[in-house]
Amino acid sequence: MTHFSSKTAIAGYGATEFSKNSGRSELRLAVEAVLAALADAGIAAGEVDGISTYTMDNNGEQEVFRAIGGRNLKFFSRIAQGGGATCAPLQQAAMAITCGIADVVVVYRAMNERSEYRFGQPMHALPPTSDNVVFAYHGMSGLMTPAAMMGMMMRRYMQDSGATSHDFAHYAVLARKHAATNPQAFFYGKPITIEDHQASRMIADPLHLLDCCQESDGAVAVVVVSAERARDLRQKPVYIRAAAQGSPAGTLGLSGFYRDNIAPYDECAAAGRQLYAQAGLMPKDIDAAILYDHFGPSVFPGLEAYGFCEKGEAKAFVKDGNLEIGGRLPLNMHGGQLGEAYIHGMNGVAEAVRQLRGTAVNQVPGVRTMLVTAGSGVPTSAAILGVD
Amino acid sequence: MTATETRGHNAPCSNRDFDFFYRGLESGRLLAQRCSRCATLRSLPSPACGQCQSLEWEEFELSGEGRVFSYTIHHHPPLPGFAVPHPVVLVDMIEGVRLLGPMDGTPPDEVAIGMSVRADFTRRGDVAAFRFRKA
Repeated sequence: MTHFSSKTAIAGYGATEFSKNSGRSELRLAVEAVLAALADAGIAAGEVDGISTYTMDNNGEQEVFRAIGGRNLKFFSRIAQGGGATCAPLQQAAMAITCGIADVVVVYRAMNERSEYRFGQPMHALPPTSDNVVFAYHGMSGLMTPAAMMGMMMRRYMQDSGATSHDFAHYAVLARKHAATNPQAFFYGKPITIEDHQASRMIADPLHLLDCCQESDGAVAVVVVSAERARDLRQKPVYIRAAAQGSPAGTLGLSGFYRDNIAPYDECAAAGRQLYAQAGLMPKDIDAAILYDHFGPSVFPGLEAYGFCEKGEAKAFVKDGNLEIGGRLPLNMHGGQLGEAYIHGMNGVAEAVRQLRGTAVNQVPGVRTMLVTAGSGVPTSAAILGVD
Repeated sequence: MTATETRGHNAPCSNRDFDFFYRGLESGRLLAQRCSRCATLRSLPSPACGQCQSLEWEEFELSGEGRVFSYTIHHHPPLPGFAVPHPVVLVDMIEGVRLLGPMDGTPPDEVAIGMSVRADFTRRGDVAAFRFRKA
């Protein structure tokens, strides 16, 4: 185990409602979530001295800090790679606190990603940054949307693993089943069947509409403090057992088409190896998981990469019911980003906190250790969270 | 001066690492980079060789022939210059590099992993382009 493991904890979390039109500014969403997280933790806004978020978040840390009445911001950082960032701000917070740079670090992600702009649209690449010239080089071929880029990866995964769209349907059904009993989920009360999935329109073959995450408005924030401080606060500490980033050779932003295995696998395996080493844990020690589902089929290579089944075996692992509550690895009990909302994975972090506190609506009994992951097919991140 | 006069092509988003590829299309050539030191080929343009770190490279003309390694059929939303649904293919070129390319003009149900393809040159608006077809 590393010096870093379990030295910090998530002491509070907060979220707005999830919708298709929040009716207010992204900054207001961010501030609402941060204030809710601080209230949940029982920490005054004036104590916040660190902020970490995603480069894609539109809310300046100084503006959030101004709005909450912050006093002295000492640490602020941002992580790139879109949804690949999710767990990396937790790592930033844990490192800043462990190093003595900051004491109370807030992590937030707030967006009007449905009502003000949409990530599912073609990416129009300008100006010619190093990332944009790659998007444009691929875009000239008519590969311009995240769904098409993931479709390219998953078609090859199907070839190599024998998995089919019908296999992928099982994940979509599971996510929507969990969302159906989660009042916060956009698809609350709206489960689907395998047939619904198979009949849904094609977006980027092999991806159907019901393989794709939602586009959502909303915000989620968490507060990270030292483990010692967390034990004196009102909530059960959710310890950061491990947090890692993964970007091995050939990993690009939804464009890693030039490595041997183009499935969203290598970056997850690289993050997973670090996590288990940091925490001194094995995949068998994970009681439940939140796997990032920008596209449901990406969960399949993810299960393999994080060590829950052998390469190519996820199709059987999923169909055998292992991901159900009561199964070997209950997954995305909030409904995932297909079912609850798409807040760049931060709503999954919030669900892990609820599960570990024992307060989730679709509660897994006795859960103590969870894996949470970020977007795959891009430079990624992941964390292991746990309670005593 | 127009973009073509200054950069030799009209691709909307390029820089000095990528310009050679689009200039190649203007002259009906599909270009990769070959490291001047270790001769490693690379398709996705880069200023340096990932094998030997050399910054020196020369243009290398690909034959345009290869086999489909993976593909997607883009359905939604419609993209400018393409009639949906249209295939996009990732091709292992016979020279040993992988190249992403469009395969519009070929019926989607005829596209399969392992099929042999060959590149043709075309224009999309005022931009020189290429696309694959069945070999």
